Amino acid sequence: MSEIKTLGIPTPEEIKQAQIDFAPRCTSAGRVNDKETQGTVEYILNFARKHSLFVMAYGTGCGAIEIPATMTSRYDAERFGIRGAATPRQADVLLITGYLATKTLKRVIRVYEQMQDPKYVIAFGSCAINGGMYFDSYNTIKALDRYIPVDVYIAGCMPRPESVINGFVKLQELIKNGNAGNGEAYREDLDWYRKNQQKVIKNWDFPDKYNW
Amino acid sequence: MSKLKKENKILDKLNDVFDISGEVKRKLRIAVKIDSKNVSSILLFLKNQHGFIHLNHISCVDWIEEGEFELVYIVWNPKTKLTVLVHTRIDRNNPVMENIDTIWDQANTYEREFREMFGIEFPGLVGRKEFILEDWDDMPPMRKDFDTQKYAKENFATRPGREDAQDVREAIQKRSGEVIPDFAKKYSRD
Repeated sequence: MSEIKTLGIPTPEEIKQAQIDFAPRCTSAGRVNDKETQGTVEYILNFARKHSLFVMAYGTGCGAIEIPATMTSRYDAERFGIRGAATPRQADVLLITGYLATKTLKRVIRVYEQMQDPKYVIAFGSCAINGGMYFDSYNTIKALDRYIPVDVYIAGCMPRPESVINGFVKLQELIKNGNAGNGEAYREDLDWYRKNQQKVIKNWDFPDKYNW
Repeated sequence: MSKLKKENKILDKLNDVFDISGEVKRKLRIAVKIDSKNVSSILLFLKNQHGFIHLNHISCVDWIEEGEFELVYIVWNPKTKLTVLVHTRIDRNNPVMENIDTIWDQANTYEREFREMFGIEFPGLVGRKEFILEDWDDMPPMRKDFDTQKYAKENFATRPGREDAQDVREAIQKRSGEVIPDFAKKYSRD
């Protein structure tokens, strides 16, 4: 009977070994802790991410009118794995389709912060790049990347479905090479982004942090 | 004038009751000017007596040189297809106007917008002070003395343009040899 191994309290050495053995192999943004498996795992993960881009169903300006055309049968974005998602928690890509009013910016920041990593942002049209025709407007922001990080810009007013798909293909390229997804960078530079955001949103009533 | 018989008939009836200066603009369209105190009575008169049961629109014009706001109430009769535009002017420095949302409910929306965008007060107006703008702490933005470009420069970060960007007017002038008139120079690139 003495041969039966009893489950006692683990020694510190055993705990240390267990931490190494069962450590999470990859972080949220597709980066792998273990150097040996890094390349392979990241490649597979990015391959999967590249071909299943769930786009947040949220249109901020006139550019949202191009999305139905891109999604439906003529241009059929689903052949690239691009499809809609109902909530921020399910989405990978946030499209900023056109001009962004200060009132909308508040909602966009909330949506962006609620999205799960890895998350990508595509800014649409000249309004998101430099204000476009709203360069002197009192209620639209002019440079989107001051407030949330942006992966791909699509120029045009408005961009046609071809250019939208072109932007998505560019994003897929970035994902494949591991250059897309700025969720971590956003968290690191949160103070700088918050400073810019609070300059525009005067009545600040956000929670300090979401459960990233 | 026989063609505009309907229009002149309404105008004559308004002239009998109110102190107005009105004219028939064109077919189916009558414009009248009236003192701001009599606006609700003329609107009620049109609605109850002559079937102008639909309020199309209320618009506001900022006449900054004359120190006045102009409000235009557009009402429509669905049977005769006539439209009446009721123009009235109020003082710009103390903009108070009678609330007419008891006559038409939809006037409430227009009036709340004027309160926010022009700073016109409507005593007895129901609804939140904040309508379209959020956290606004500056001058009402649709007033003509609000400098929207200055506000945008102070509050929003702008992206610097390309280094090789050209001023459109100057580039065209160079190409064509035309002289830029003085009034157009203020629109040139900073």
